[in-house]
Amino acid sequence: MSKLVCENLTKKYGDKTVLDHVNLTLESGKIYGLIGRNGAGKTTLLSLMSNQNPITAGTATIDGQRIWENPAALSRLCFSRELNLSAESALASYTLKAYLRAAETYLPHWDKDLAQKLVDLFGLDKKKKLGKLSKGMLSMVTILVAMASKAEFTFLDEPVAGLDVVAREQFYQLLLEEYTETGRTFVLSTHIIEEAADVMEEVIILDKGKILLMENTQQLVDRARYVTGLADQVDGATAGLPRHHAETMGRSKAVTVLLPAGEDLNPGYDVTVQPVNLQKLFVALCGEEVHL
Amino acid sequence: MNQRLTEEKSIYLQISQMIETDILRGILLEEERVPSTNELAKLYTINPATAAKGINQLVEAGILYKKRGIGMFVASGATEKIRARRKEEFYRVQLQELLEEAKRLGITRAELIEKIGGESK
Repeated sequence: MSKLVCENLTKKYGDKTVLDHVNLTLESGKIYGLIGRNGAGKTTLLSLMSNQNPITAGTATIDGQRIWENPAALSRLCFSRELNLSAESALASYTLKAYLRAAETYLPHWDKDLAQKLVDLFGLDKKKKLGKLSKGMLSMVTILVAMASKAEFTFLDEPVAGLDVVAREQFYQLLLEEYTETGRTFVLSTHIIEEAADVMEEVIILDKGKILLMENTQQLVDRARYVTGLADQVDGATAGLPRHHAETMGRSKAVTVLLPAGEDLNPGYDVTVQPVNLQKLFVALCGEEVHL
Repeated sequence: MNQRLTEEKSIYLQISQMIETDILRGILLEEERVPSTNELAKLYTINPATAAKGINQLVEAGILYKKRGIGMFVASGATEKIRARRKEEFYRVQLQELLEEAKRLGITRAELIEKIGGESK
């Protein structure tokens, strides 16, 4: 089994630390979800792991081989970035056809048939210039490149950002199809958490440049509880447990609890206990209260 | 298999319960093949590892069994096993909840028995 390992991976822009001693091990054959707020460092992390951005400190390796400027390691990777084209960007004047030809040159395992199939599936026009494509179509292009790259480790940054609901559903289907057939490793960052939650085997939560947690998605969600009731009852039921994001309204209180593995709420209190989905848990863990 | 997933329960539990319900309803018959992990993953747009967890629970419970190289099959006697377990669960969980709610509302045992008697007529 292959492993991509980050050790104390750090990135600074001037004196601003964007990634702070990130330790992370990605095992081959899994779909990872990378979630975090805007500016948490998701894109920076993906670019450091794929030679697209120089590392300030720490290491990123595949099976012990350094990734930075190492063609052997890089041939196993693909980071299909979100295409943000301004009119002045050199890429904007590329036709889709020329862009795909360039991808074919850079990506050693490129699957031309699959690329064409996806062009047809998404209804893309290869003669069109990238600068003339809509946001949704540019998302389709990044997905197409990621899939057709056939890279062992494939990173997708906000792949569904510009897509409508139908196309997003198509993307998840496509991802699962490719994953079940090949067992490639995918890391996808997304803000549309709930939609993608069931697809991710493991979830990585990045907060302010640090890994907040990394865990099997189902296991994590199983540990979360939303506890409501009379404030003193809620306090009793959750005393001594990791509590996140408490809200009080009059006599009632609501608390999100992340139970340590194998533990449960304190028994004997009259409270309502509800499950918490990944998106709500994420907000409880990373959200800050609004005070106007 | 045409049900939708909800957020109220773990996905793998929902997968195993849906398969059980399909067996009880005669949608899946004993000694018949059930959808594979990958088929379930695509059908519900979930990670195959999650689908596998649901399937494995049923294998451990003796509801499904694996035929090498062919797939997962419904064990003979599965219907009876599921019915027996759900019956036990009904008395232990659902009935208990019903009795607790009745107590909270001040419904007497006699009233309750009368209602149940009336329902079954």
